[in-house]
Amino acid sequence: MTLNVLVLTDQRGGTLKTASRETLSEARRLVERAGGGRVWAGLVGSGLDAILPKVQEMGPDSVLLMDDPVLKDFQAAAYAVAARAMLEGIPSPRVILAPATAMGREWLPRLGAALGTGVATEATEVVPDPEGGIRIRRTVFGGKATVSVALPEGSCATLRVNTFAADPRPGQAPVTRVPVPEIPKEARAISVESTVEAPRDTVDLTQASIVVAGGRGLKGPENFHLVEDLARILGGAPAASRAVVDAGWRPASYQVGQTGKTVAPQLYIAIGISGAIQHLVGMSNSRCIVAINRDAAAPIFKVAHYGIVGDALAIVPALIGALRAERP
Amino acid sequence: MHLIVGVKHVPDADTRLRVDPSGTTYDPDGVKFTINNTYDEATLEESLRLKDGNPGTTVHVVSVGPPRAEEGLRAALAMGADEATLVEVGTGTELDPLLTARLLAAVIRGIPHDLVLVGRQAADDEAGQVGSALGHYLGLPSAGYVTGLEVDPASKRLHIKRYVEGGEETLGMEFPAVLSILKGANDPRTPTLPNILKARRKPLRKVPVGDLLPALETWPGGAKPTSRVTAFQLPPPRAGAKILEYTSPEEAAGKLLAALREEAKVL
Ligand SMILES: Cc1cc2nc3c(=O)[nH]c(=O)nc-3n(C[C@H](O)[C@H](O)[C@H](O)COP(=O)(O)OP(=O)(O)OC[C@H]3O[C@@H](n4cnc5c(N)ncnc54)[C@H](O)[C@@H]3O)c2cc1C
Repeated sequence: MTLNVLVLTDQRGGTLKTASRETLSEARRLVERAGGGRVWAGLVGSGLDAILPKVQEMGPDSVLLMDDPVLKDFQAAAYAVAARAMLEGIPSPRVILAPATAMGREWLPRLGAALGTGVATEATEVVPDPEGGIRIRRTVFGGKATVSVALPEGSCATLRVNTFAADPRPGQAPVTRVPVPEIPKEARAISVESTVEAPRDTVDLTQASIVVAGGRGLKGPENFHLVEDLARILGGAPAASRAVVDAGWRPASYQVGQTGKTVAPQLYIAIGISGAIQHLVGMSNSRCIVAINRDAAAPIFKVAHYGIVGDALAIVPALIGALRAERP
Repeated sequence: MHLIVGVKHVPDADTRLRVDPSGTTYDPDGVKFTINNTYDEATLEESLRLKDGNPGTTVHVVSVGPPRAEEGLRAALAMGADEATLVEVGTGTELDPLLTARLLAAVIRGIPHDLVLVGRQAADDEAGQVGSALGHYLGLPSAGYVTGLEVDPASKRLHIKRYVEGGEETLGMEFPAVLSILKGANDPRTPTLPNILKARRKPLRKVPVGDLLPALETWPGGAKPTSRVTAFQLPPPRAGAKILEYTSPEEAAGKLLAALREEAKVL
């Protein structure tokens, strides 16, 4: 069978997200698994010329570019109309993929609703369906179960970040400019008034491939820098349990769990975190989990891959010391 | 101002799941159901705060679910919502996230609405599609990942904060609009006994799903689900952590770094 794939990329803020690169690579692999077809990269936004080479480097067959000041800010209703216009040039059988970033997760359901097709969120596996369309796997119930979902030809899926490998393939995909379609009035009823960026040297928690999280076991806000120091030296992002946020040691943006952020990095280090179910649902899909906890019976050790039973205030400085000694 | 809040009745976070004989869902037997999805409770609390601050505001909760979902709607009424509608679904009806959104839209079309609010995702299927899709079906602007909102009822404008990777955006919006809330108030109010009693007398309307489906035939996607779960599986139980033995913190650190590099290959 053949399968054509449109990848809607996320470059909000002006840089192509790693998650977009991952999705472009997986689209290539999906087409190969199907035994034929083409990959289109679809870029919607404004002032995108600078990132075109970064997209081409991921080996799509064609690039569709809809670049216009009216599309400067992401807006689901307008972007759904934009994506539909891009689809007109793509022959069936086809599917639409996007990274499961905040933007992709908001964009594709609106697009899928307009197209009358299926939509799946946060896929961790995508394969061609012999009956047409695709089959995906995803986790549900905070990682307690997985489901396989069949989506007919024409459907949409977002791919979980940090899950698929991004491997560049040299290529010079031709770029086609697609004119902006008429933007419906409901899409004009919303505008971005301001954007506040996080400080440059911080890594976004949901995008980070390494997350170092601290809990009440750190004893007080004065020790929490240990979590941040370890995160920085590993090139990861710091995070916290809700107990830490509720105690006011760190802001709510740090919180991982049921009422905080959901993360699935390559490496999650839980320091002084007991492993309450509400915390686990936010991180149990991480590829490798390390727990550092004084209590050998703490539930976090049940989901962790590696455990150190001991005092975080002694172990973490030793870890930081060892890493610093390697990179003087 | 008329607020609509979508809620879903879901299993408890710490409930133990078993696979249903069909192999495509969990066995509801013996599963404890929470009152409502946590994200929805936080969203409902946000809406009730808007109501408290803007006299004349009403909150109407809507849900698509089996008969047991009535319990969730009663709880929402006890928290302070004014009215409830349940689209009652029997065991024979298959749903997917977008069909759920179509059913909600069909019901919401018949109710006055200035603002439709839903939680970021349901704690069971974690699809997070209903907010954006409702925006399309209702022909309204939508925004997701909302972390804060302020309403100016006089100018019919709304200022919202939205999470973006690496920062935050402030949006201006006209309403009616649909918002999906990433993070609402952390502490949903606990209903008082008088309010629980009062909730029993508040209007709760039940709409059989069969009353709505025929009209959906002409909508994009139609009256049937457009995606299908083919398998529901529980992961094999984890072996538990490999505990690293050590005599000094330095040794522990060294062993961990070696394991992460050589075995797990994540560093
Ligand atoms: C509706 C609801 C939603 C919730 N949402 C979230 C959420 O999103 N995220 C979240 O995290 N929680 C959430 N919670 C709270 C959750 O139930 C736990 O209370 C919380 O996760 C506990 O945080 P903790 O592990 O830091 O603290 P504790 O449970 O107090 O654990 C501290 C741990 O540190 C260990 N320790 C102590 N001293 C040391 C030391 N010197 N060295 C090493 N280890 C040490 C202890 O052995 C213990 O295991 C929610 C709860 C509810 C009811």
